[in-house]
Amino acid sequence: MKTITAIRQLAESTGNSYAQVFFSRNMLFALLLLGVSFIDLYAGLSGLVAVLVTTAAAFLFGFDEARITSGTYGFNSLLVGLGLGIYYQPSPEFYFVVVLASLLTLFISVAMEGVIGKYYLPYLSIPFILSIWLVLLATKQFEHLGISERGIYTLNELYGLGGQRLVNFHERVNALIPVPLRLYFLSLAAIFFQSKIIAGILIAFGLFLYSRIAFTLSLLGFWTAYFFYLLLGVNLAETSYSYIGFNYILTAIAIGGFYLIPSVWTYGWAVLLTPLVAILTLSLDPVFAVFKVPIYALPFNIMVLLFLYVLKFRTKERKYLKEVVIQQYSPEKNLYYDYNSRQRFDPAWIFSFRLPFHGRWTVSQGHDGSYTHQGEWRHAWDFVIEDNRGKTFKDSGDLLTDYYCFGKDVLSPGYGTVEIVEDGIDDNIVGEVNLIKNWGNTVIIRHADHLYSKLSHLQKGSIRVKKGDTVKPGDIIGKAGNSGRSPYPHLHFQFQATPYIGSPTLFYPFGSYLRYHENKPELMTYAIPQEGEVVANIEVNELLQKAFQFVPGQKIRFQTSGTPLARGTEWEVRTNVYNQSYLYCTETGSKAWFWTEDNVFYFTGFEGNKRSLLYYFFLAAYRIYKGFYREITVRDSYPLHLVYPRTRLVFQDLIAPFWIYLQATYELHYTWIDNPVMPSRLKMESKMKEQPLRFLIEIDTKGIAAFVITRDNKMLKATCIE
Amino acid sequence: MEKRTFEPPVIKRLNAGMPSKFGMTPRIEPMPEVEGLKVSELLKEFGSPLYVLSERTLRNTYRDAYQAFSTRYPKVQLAWSYKTNYLAAVCNAFHQEGAWAEVVSGFEYHKALKNGVPPQYIIFNGPSKTYEDLLLATRNGSLIHIDHFDELYMLLEVSDEAGTKPKVAIRVNMDTGIYPRWDRFGFNYDNGEAWEAINRIMLSGKMDLAGLHTHIGTYILTPQAYRIAASKLADLAVNTERKYGHVIRYIDMGGGFASKNTLKGAYVPGTDSAPSFDDYADAITGALVNSAIKPEHLPLLILETGRALIDDAGYLLGTVIANKRLASGRRALITDVGVNLLFTSFWYEHQIVPAENSSQHTEDTTIYGPLCMNIDVLRAAIDFPLLKKGDTFVIKRIGAYNMTQWLQFIEYRPNVLMIDTDGKPHIIRKREDLDYMTRQEVLPEHLKNAGL
Repeated sequence: MKTITAIRQLAESTGNSYAQVFFSRNMLFALLLLGVSFIDLYAGLSGLVAVLVTTAAAFLFGFDEARITSGTYGFNSLLVGLGLGIYYQPSPEFYFVVVLASLLTLFISVAMEGVIGKYYLPYLSIPFILSIWLVLLATKQFEHLGISERGIYTLNELYGLGGQRLVNFHERVNALIPVPLRLYFLSLAAIFFQSKIIAGILIAFGLFLYSRIAFTLSLLGFWTAYFFYLLLGVNLAETSYSYIGFNYILTAIAIGGFYLIPSVWTYGWAVLLTPLVAILTLSLDPVFAVFKVPIYALPFNIMVLLFLYVLKFRTKERKYLKEVVIQQYSPEKNLYYDYNSRQRFDPAWIFSFRLPFHGRWTVSQGHDGSYTHQGEWRHAWDFVIEDNRGKTFKDSGDLLTDYYCFGKDVLSPGYGTVEIVEDGIDDNIVGEVNLIKNWGNTVIIRHADHLYSKLSHLQKGSIRVKKGDTVKPGDIIGKAGNSGRSPYPHLHFQFQATPYIGSPTLFYPFGSYLRYHENKPELMTYAIPQEGEVVANIEVNELLQKAFQFVPGQKIRFQTSGTPLARGTEWEVRTNVYNQSYLYCTETGSKAWFWTEDNVFYFTGFEGNKRSLLYYFFLAAYRIYKGFYREITVRDSYPLHLVYPRTRLVFQDLIAPFWIYLQATYELHYTWIDNPVMPSRLKMESKMKEQPLRFLIEIDTKGIAAFVITRDNKMLKATCIE
Repeated sequence: MEKRTFEPPVIKRLNAGMPSKFGMTPRIEPMPEVEGLKVSELLKEFGSPLYVLSERTLRNTYRDAYQAFSTRYPKVQLAWSYKTNYLAAVCNAFHQEGAWAEVVSGFEYHKALKNGVPPQYIIFNGPSKTYEDLLLATRNGSLIHIDHFDELYMLLEVSDEAGTKPKVAIRVNMDTGIYPRWDRFGFNYDNGEAWEAINRIMLSGKMDLAGLHTHIGTYILTPQAYRIAASKLADLAVNTERKYGHVIRYIDMGGGFASKNTLKGAYVPGTDSAPSFDDYADAITGALVNSAIKPEHLPLLILETGRALIDDAGYLLGTVIANKRLASGRRALITDVGVNLLFTSFWYEHQIVPAENSSQHTEDTTIYGPLCMNIDVLRAAIDFPLLKKGDTFVIKRIGAYNMTQWLQFIEYRPNVLMIDTDGKPHIIRKREDLDYMTRQEVLPEHLKNAGL
């Protein structure tokens, strides 16, 4: 078992090392590249040896396994191996040098990671360049290493491989392709030290398979350079190191789509940076010619690192050139995830606050209110309780205790520490106000730096917390009262950036709450309750709470019946080193990342097999509010690449940086419950609106009881057995 | 001009404008309309006497009660106490507002089912459930509140036969510092009987102990008693979780909230002394929130309020049959409303007001009903205006218990009217007639006729 895992890991690391050269982790692309590298058998072999040695060494050293398997360490060695392999004749001595060079490359990679990783910069192919330079400069002294002539006499080699027919075929194909395009293919081939056009064509094909955006960017980079050279009166085809064309291609992919979220702006910068890369190429080439070493991808490395580093010094909103935070190793995925998360979450509202009371209260004064919520204090709320006749008090309303809200618990809106407690101010007689102690009895809670909440006009002597206390959402702070500038009992609530009584208010919404209209609730998320609205917190349903409380180590097993739409019936709850939790399908290795808060559960991402049960569960329970309300509709949107088949996305991918026309909407309804206050079973129905995909989730006291997928009239039922 | 009936003159002490110790002598405000409909016209159309229920008041009271609790506690459920008034229209109005059903007999249980209440929303209380009742309730998944050990043992047998675990609670009685102390229902807390019952249930493994129930008494004027009761139940819940790892899902505080009626012998009127829903809610929720129950296991709070929810919504309209001067010289009024229709007059000083403007002169009066029985007294002594034969009057706050504890005795029971929220009257129970009265009778052949 252990050996199998080890072999799998090694295979994965090796594959990714190949794909990583093009910023990819696509296995198909990796296999294609592996094939391409073996167009020159010895070079291919040398490359493979380098990768295997590096990967094995990295594992033995005990570096981060996730980084090793992602190919981060391997791809530089691969390039070194290929570069040396094409340069020297194969011999035992040579392979020994390759092994040494691989180790050197690994060391440089790790060192580079330590040095520039601190600045959140990638080391790109710098380890390769340094390593191969060192080896090339040194091996000039090694007499036993024979310089190879391969790669120079292309036709000879082709003849050797496939006789005259292959040569003829090659010539014919060559003739069909216009010179600039031929150059483009050669540039692509040169990345793998290949000099044959067919290698370039295969790589271009693979690149298209891997990413439409990367493919268009490769064209964009190349043609920009081509025309720039024309403009300056230099023919790219005639420049000595014509294969250096790959610098433009790689720069365009890196800046236009990989390290930044692809957009019209990154495409623009890809175009702008290309001439700079050209200048770097032309200026550096003669310098390194002195040492008789090629500059390889040095211009690309310099330009990309420089640009990425410069971007980090921006202090304004990074809306236009947005850096990729979680790298998905695909420009499309990065783009769709980013687009999706912009639809789902507003990055400005990190904290999800709840309303500071039990039950339904009415906003008697909202933001920019007509009485006191004005100027610097405009982002505040006053809350009262109304009865069903719209009155805030019973009897005559002459006594404080006539008011429904008077003496009701006031709760903490979120996690925090109590910053200020002011108590001891008398509750006013109805109709009178205290203008000296405006805010009355007040509690200020610190939730984060520059984020405080303030609860005012509390009842004298009712405050239960003291300075320094830690509070969590729903903890009782005190009781609503009538102290301070309050003619009748109400709760004043505001967010503020500074911890003082009297600080100006801060615009910040509540995370999720219900707005009642004629007794019907409506779900509001990250919204501001408006004046006159009746609002309440989402009361958590104990079944939903329990069912979506996934504990790491927990195992869930299903039994399926119906059409076999999906497989993988055993899941495990896991957590990674970043403390992100996910459901893991043991059969398919798929992962569905999730996040839980007090009253909401949602999935943040999925990777793995789209024919797994877990994938469908990811779609079905994409966002669940843990309260059961028949009237509300939960809506959300999926990342496009996770729901649409590849074929439907090809065109969208091509134009995605400029315009996204596809939509993927999630909708959930709570449909049935046996007993709303003491439930033992409930049902929810969800769907992906744009496709014939319907789900039914059944929850009982043990958790998820069953889960039904309906796709195009075909149905699969998964019943939880553990 | 109408000919006025002669009344012999009486001498009465003049008491003009002198305040009593509660302030001015109350002026009796006539009540010409109920929910916007004229009393005289209602009586003309539907006959006298007449019960009138206001759907609007009923729903508003419910919402007030619910709000008083729901703004203090996250999970609250009211259950309509059927015995208080089980007319289907009343029950369904409460059910529409969200109330469950609380029943205390097989009959009430079936009535709730007939009203369309899903069985899992029925709480089955009471000391006299039959084996069949329990079997049905178990199969239906209703909540069964066990009253005594014999019921507990019977339920064990039921559980075996039904093949499912009954969902149960035990009723607990306790000392809450008030008098009288009800110890007739349920298991005693203070002597450990309640804990013993819990042990038996938990160890039997044949029941699902869903909740704990208490009903500390009726017409409780001190909310403090509820605070004590709630914290004692909370202790039981905490101990059950500690010992068995079993979470108690609900705590049922029963009913017993006072209405605004004045009890006989009370020193101050009920309108001044009865605590509000807020007072009760504050005591109960305060005790639960402050108890040792873990916040995430805070149980559902169930209340079986009956009286306080409906008393205000009910009126009894009647007509004066005769005026009489008793031998003692005391004034007496004979009306068509007797204790047969107003059972609660045995413990309340009901507020009776004339429907129309009448004489400003009042006199200490005894009001009798129409029954040919000495006990038929509505008010033994009331400062009442001088009404004439045929004058109409309204008795306020009679919604609770009168339409269930009424007697078919001497007279037919009259129409019961409900005025809906749009002010439209609906008869919700028809006046009885001879056919209704004799329908259940079976005559042996030899007694077929009177033979006179």
